[in-house]
Amino acid sequence: MILPDRTVLDNGAVLVSMALPTNPFIAIRGSVPSGVVAEGKDFGVAEFMARLLLSGTRRSSAAKISDRLEGIGATVEFHNSEEALVFQGRCMRETVGPTVRTIVECLTESTFPPKEVERVRGEILNDLRIEADDTRHRALRALSAAVFPRDHPYGRDPKGDESRARAIRRMDVVDFHETYVGPESMIVAVTGDVDPELIEEDIAAPLSRMRANGRVAPAVPPLPVHRPRASWISMPHKSQADIAIGTQAPPRRHDDYYALHLADLVFGRIGLFGRLGRNLRDEQGLAYYAFSSLEARTAAGLWSIAAGVNPANLEKAIRGIRNELDRLRTDPFTTEEVRDGKDNQVGSLIVSLERNAEVAAELHRMEYYGLGMDFLERYADIVRGLSDDRVREVARKYFDPASCSMVVAGPVGRTRVAL
Amino acid sequence: MATHVETLENGLKVILRPIPEATALSTWVTYRVGSRNEVPGMTGSTHWVEHMLFKGGGKLGKGDIDKFVSRLGGKLNGFTHTDLTSYFTTLPASAMDTALLIESERMRNAAFDPKEVDAERTVVISEREGAENEPEFAVEEELWALAFQVHPYHWTAIGYKQDLARLARDPLYEHYHRFYAPNNAFLVMVGGFDVAVAMQHIREAFAPLRPEAPPEPMRLVEPEQAGERRSDLRKPGAADLLAMAWHIPPFVHEDTPALVLLATILGGWRGFTPFAAGEWRSRSNRLYRALVETKLATDVTVRNEFRVDPSLLVANVTLAPKASLERVEEVVNREVERIRKGVAAQAELERAKRQVRAWYRYEHDGVTYQGMLLSLLEVLASWDAGDALLAKIEKVRGEHVRDVARRYLVDDARCIVRFHHQEVPG
Repeated sequence: MILPDRTVLDNGAVLVSMALPTNPFIAIRGSVPSGVVAEGKDFGVAEFMARLLLSGTRRSSAAKISDRLEGIGATVEFHNSEEALVFQGRCMRETVGPTVRTIVECLTESTFPPKEVERVRGEILNDLRIEADDTRHRALRALSAAVFPRDHPYGRDPKGDESRARAIRRMDVVDFHETYVGPESMIVAVTGDVDPELIEEDIAAPLSRMRANGRVAPAVPPLPVHRPRASWISMPHKSQADIAIGTQAPPRRHDDYYALHLADLVFGRIGLFGRLGRNLRDEQGLAYYAFSSLEARTAAGLWSIAAGVNPANLEKAIRGIRNELDRLRTDPFTTEEVRDGKDNQVGSLIVSLERNAEVAAELHRMEYYGLGMDFLERYADIVRGLSDDRVREVARKYFDPASCSMVVAGPVGRTRVAL
Repeated sequence: MATHVETLENGLKVILRPIPEATALSTWVTYRVGSRNEVPGMTGSTHWVEHMLFKGGGKLGKGDIDKFVSRLGGKLNGFTHTDLTSYFTTLPASAMDTALLIESERMRNAAFDPKEVDAERTVVISEREGAENEPEFAVEEELWALAFQVHPYHWTAIGYKQDLARLARDPLYEHYHRFYAPNNAFLVMVGGFDVAVAMQHIREAFAPLRPEAPPEPMRLVEPEQAGERRSDLRKPGAADLLAMAWHIPPFVHEDTPALVLLATILGGWRGFTPFAAGEWRSRSNRLYRALVETKLATDVTVRNEFRVDPSLLVANVTLAPKASLERVEEVVNREVERIRKGVAAQAELERAKRQVRAWYRYEHDGVTYQGMLLSLLEVLASWDAGDALLAKIEKVRGEHVRDVARRYLVDDARCIVRFHHQEVPG
C-alpha cells in the first residue's frame, strides 16, 4: 500500500495527499478548529460563519465567487460541525490552483457583508423550523442533548436556537472568524489526479500564504454527566414515529474504540442492520430502518440506535430493541458473528476507499485523530487482533439499556413505554 | 475508456469496463421494469419485488446475500424507479463470482416465501410512511399525478398505501417472473478484472437462464396538456413549498442537449445520477439569484427528470418565512419569460457547459458511481450516450436554449403545486 504524503507547512497547516490515478479529478477535504466547541457562550456563531464563507471577500462578491467556481466546474462547500469548520471541494487537475486559492481567499478575507448575514439568518431560522417538523431530526437532536446535557457542544444544536439566530450580530461573526480561523491546526487532505509538483505549486503554495497569528485550538469542555431519561415528542400530524436511543461512548483514541466499533457493526450495521435489523425489520417487519451507529470524536463519542416505525408498532419495536440489548448478556456475539464483522471491516478497506471523496475524508480523519500515515496499513492487524471476548465485553459495557436515554418523536399518542 | 459490450444468446447484454489499477469491482444488473410497467391496483409492486430479491432463493438461503457481501466488506443495494430496477454489489476485485452468483440467482430463482412476502408488507408501508413524514413527498406525488393522467408516471415508485395493504404474493411473483429475465436486463461491471475472464464467468452464471417473451411495449401515451393544472395542498409543515413542472420529451430526443443547458442556466447542474452531488448547491444560476439572494426563498433546485418516456422539467422552491407563494411564482415566471425571450450571454452559456462537463467527470468517481452512470444511460438510451451527449452540448448555442425554452416552458402545459404550510399542532 502506498503511504500518503504528509507535509507540515511553515504556518502550521498540515497537508496530506495521495494520488489515485484511476479517478479523473481532485477531491479536497479540510478543517479548521473553529466549530461549536470554539463558540464558548456565543451559541450559533460558528454556524453563521460557516454559511457565510462563500458570501463575499475583500476582493470578490458572493456572485463573483460562485461565478468563478462554477465557471471552472469546481464545487466548494463549508460546513459547521461540533469540533471544526469543515470544507470540501472537487475540481479538475487544471483548475485546482484557482479552486484552492478561492478556498484560501474565503477563509482569510471574508467580509461578511450585512446583507448576506441577514440572508443567512433567514436561512438558519427556516432550517430550524423545517428540522423542528422532522421526526428523525427531532429525535436525534433531543437524544444528543440528553446524552450531552447542559449545552455541551456535543449536545446542542450547532445552529443554536431561534433566539440566538435572531440575536447574532455581524460583529460576533467577524470576531469569531478573526479569533479562530487561520492556518494553525488546519488540515487539508487531497486525493485523485495529483502529483508532487502539482501539490507543491497549486495547493501548498496558496495554503502557505495564510498568515499564522498564534491562534490556539480550543479545548473541548469537560463532559457533563449523562443521566438517562426518556422523552416523548408529540407530532400528531406525522405518519411515522422515530425512536432514538443512545449513550456516551469513548473517544476516538480510547483503548476500547476498535472493539466497540466492531461490536456496533455486529449489533446494528452489518448487512441489513445486524442483529437489530434482523429482529425489527427482517423477522418482525416493523421498520424500514433500524440501525445503530457510533460517532467518535476527540473527547467522547455518541452511540445510538435509530428506528422509524408505525405508531401502532412503537411498543413492539421498543421491546424488540430492549430484547436485542438484553441478548448481549444472555446470548453474546458468537465467534462466527465476530469473525464476519472482522472480515467485513478488513474487506471494506478496499471497497470503502474506491472513491476520491471517501479517500480524502479518510486521510483527513487519520491526521485529525493522529492515527498515523500508516494507519491503513495497520488497520487489518488491529481488527484481527481483537479477541471475541473483548468485543463481547465492550458490547455489554457500553450497550447497556440502563445507561441509555430514549427519545420518541412522532404521532406517539398516549403510548409511553420504558426501554 | 475501453468498454467491452456483448450480448449472450439468451439476450442478456453485458457491458464491461475494466480498470486495471482498480482493487474493487462493481457489478450492476438492471431490469427494464419500473413503476411505468405497473397498472392501477398494483402500484408499488415493482418496488416490493425489489425488496423480496434480497431474501434468497435457488442456491441462496435467506440472509445469504447480506452475509456473502458483508464478509467481503462489500456494499450492496437496490433501486426502483419509474423506468428501471437496479441491483449492485461492490466487492474486492477478487470476489467477482460472489456478485455473479447473487445476480444470476436473483434473476430467475427468488423464493417469494409467502411468510416473507407478508413480513415485507409492513416494511414497504413503513418506507412509504417515512416518506409521508416529509411535505416534499406530498408535493412530488401530487405534481406527477397532476402532470400525467394517462401514463403510469402518474404514481411514484413507492406506490399507494392502499395497494400495498392489499397486494398478494402471487401477483407479485408473476410480476417478477414476467420482467426478470435475461432478455429484459443488462449487466454492467466496472473495476479490476480481465475482460476474457469476466466474460467466461458471466457466461457460466447467466447463459443457462431462459429468456421470457419480451414485455409488451408501452402503449400509453400522455395526451398533450391543454391548459395549466394547479393544486393547492394545505397540511401541517414548516415552510411553504412551490413546485412547477413543464413537459419535456424523452431523453433520446434531439432537444435534450439544449434542455440540459436550460436547466443549468435556470437552476444549476448536479449531474445525471441522483446521488453524485450530495448537499452541494449551485449558486451561480438565475433562480438562485432571483429567489435566494433576494431572501424570497432558502432553497431552489431545477432538474430535468430524464426518462424513457416524455417527462418533466421541475423547479422546486422552499420559501423563506415571509415570502408569499404568489410572489415567488411571479419571480419564477419572470425568469422563465426572460429565458424564453432572450439569448443567454456567451459567458453564462460557457459556464453552464463547463459545469456539465465537470460533473460528468465527478460522476466517474470510483467503480460504483461509474456502474450507476452506465446503467442509467443504458436504460435511457445507450451506455455510451454520455460522451455523445456531452459532445452535442458543446455545440449548443444560446439561440437553441431560447428555442427549447419557448417550445417546452409553455404556460398552458405547466403544472403547479403549492404547499401552504399549516401551523403544526402543538
